[in-house]
Amino acid sequence: MSSMKEIKQRIENVRSVEQLIKAMDMIASTKLVKIRAQLEGVRPIYRELRRVVEEVGSLEAAGEHPYYGERDVKNSLYIVFTSDRGLAGSYNANITAKALEHMNQGKNEKIVVVGAKGYEFFKKKGKNIVESVVDVVDSQVYYGSESLAKWLIDYYMKGEADEVFIAYTHFINVLNYIPVVEKLLPAPIKEGKADEDRKYEPDLYSFIDHMIPLYLHMKIFRAYSESHTSEQAARMVNMDAAGKNASDLIEKLTHLYNRKRQTNITEELNEIFGSVNFVNNGGLHDS
Amino acid sequence: MSEKLTNQKKDKKITINITTPRGLKFVEKADMVVMRCIDGDLGVLYGHAPLSAILGDGILRIFNDGFVKKLALFGGVAEIGKNIVNIFSTIAQKPEEIDLERAEADRQELEALFRDKAEEHKIQSSLVLLHRALVRIEVSMDLEDVKYFEEENDKREY
Repeated sequence: MSSMKEIKQRIENVRSVEQLIKAMDMIASTKLVKIRAQLEGVRPIYRELRRVVEEVGSLEAAGEHPYYGERDVKNSLYIVFTSDRGLAGSYNANITAKALEHMNQGKNEKIVVVGAKGYEFFKKKGKNIVESVVDVVDSQVYYGSESLAKWLIDYYMKGEADEVFIAYTHFINVLNYIPVVEKLLPAPIKEGKADEDRKYEPDLYSFIDHMIPLYLHMKIFRAYSESHTSEQAARMVNMDAAGKNASDLIEKLTHLYNRKRQTNITEELNEIFGSVNFVNNGGLHDS
Repeated sequence: MSEKLTNQKKDKKITINITTPRGLKFVEKADMVVMRCIDGDLGVLYGHAPLSAILGDGILRIFNDGFVKKLALFGGVAEIGKNIVNIFSTIAQKPEEIDLERAEADRQELEALFRDKAEEHKIQSSLVLLHRALVRIEVSMDLEDVKYFEEENDKREY
């Protein structure tokens, strides 16, 4: 059995880890509130823009536009959103597994990875990473997604990729978030009859030319917000669990320590009483 | 024109929704709305045909009961449906939200750039920014304008 000193040392260690965990939990919950507000804000404009994009896509004339036309797929581009930091439970494993599962269908894939964790993962797997975005400051996410959208359009128009997928973690609530892979380009098309009466200003092609970059910007921004919210929620929940485990461990160790101390005291008392009895009974002379 | 406007029935109004990345920002009923598209202004009255347009950088004017409200709007998409105008834009600012000092500082900085005869591509990109600064300045000036318009309107009515 370990000595009292060792147990005391362990309690101290666990206690300092617990403090760390609690601090991380608090940071995650504050960030969650902030990022959640951002997510709630971007969702409506994304939904509406997606509806407009789908409606335009259902027009017959739009089918010939490069953003809508299907191509023979030689290269597929994947944008995968992961986190920069760990300690978020299975958050990163889930999204990378989902993306990998989607890729492993005999595709010639290229990967744009957002977040250091994903970069490490795909590098280890020996995948073709064409671009990586790491350590994005929260305040730069909006402009970062705008430039990513611009880069993406350029890349797609050059013919380097024939279809683009986006993999992110969809945030439902603090305990539920599911990894999803969605098609980004060619742009989605609504099933059913198109509204042919609608006019487009200045003309349909210019309209698509201007609308799609805005749509992609909002889509990427939203995907980032969804992923980031899920990450903070995952971290918060995991840190909460870790904090509880640490408290339990401290309690157990304290009990062990106390028991050990009690044993030592009892032992000492026994020794003292034994000696006292021995002396009172006359010591060695009377034996 | 003014007679026509006052004779309009109360229910013959269009609804304007402005959505930005910060959520549904602005909902308003109006008689007429004038927005700046990439190739000029576009006015929408009650009963407009369905139309979708690309917006440029400029001022969105909302006419209602003789009052004009101005908003600074930079880019985006407008969708005109059945007496409803949905605007999706990355930036939409009300007069009270505009930082006038900053817009003024931007304007001075950019104008200095033109005086110094900077490189061509720099001038091109700063022209857009200058235009935005000017739009912001004009819209934020509108804070006092509204009152002025009100008084003028009152005189006309009685």
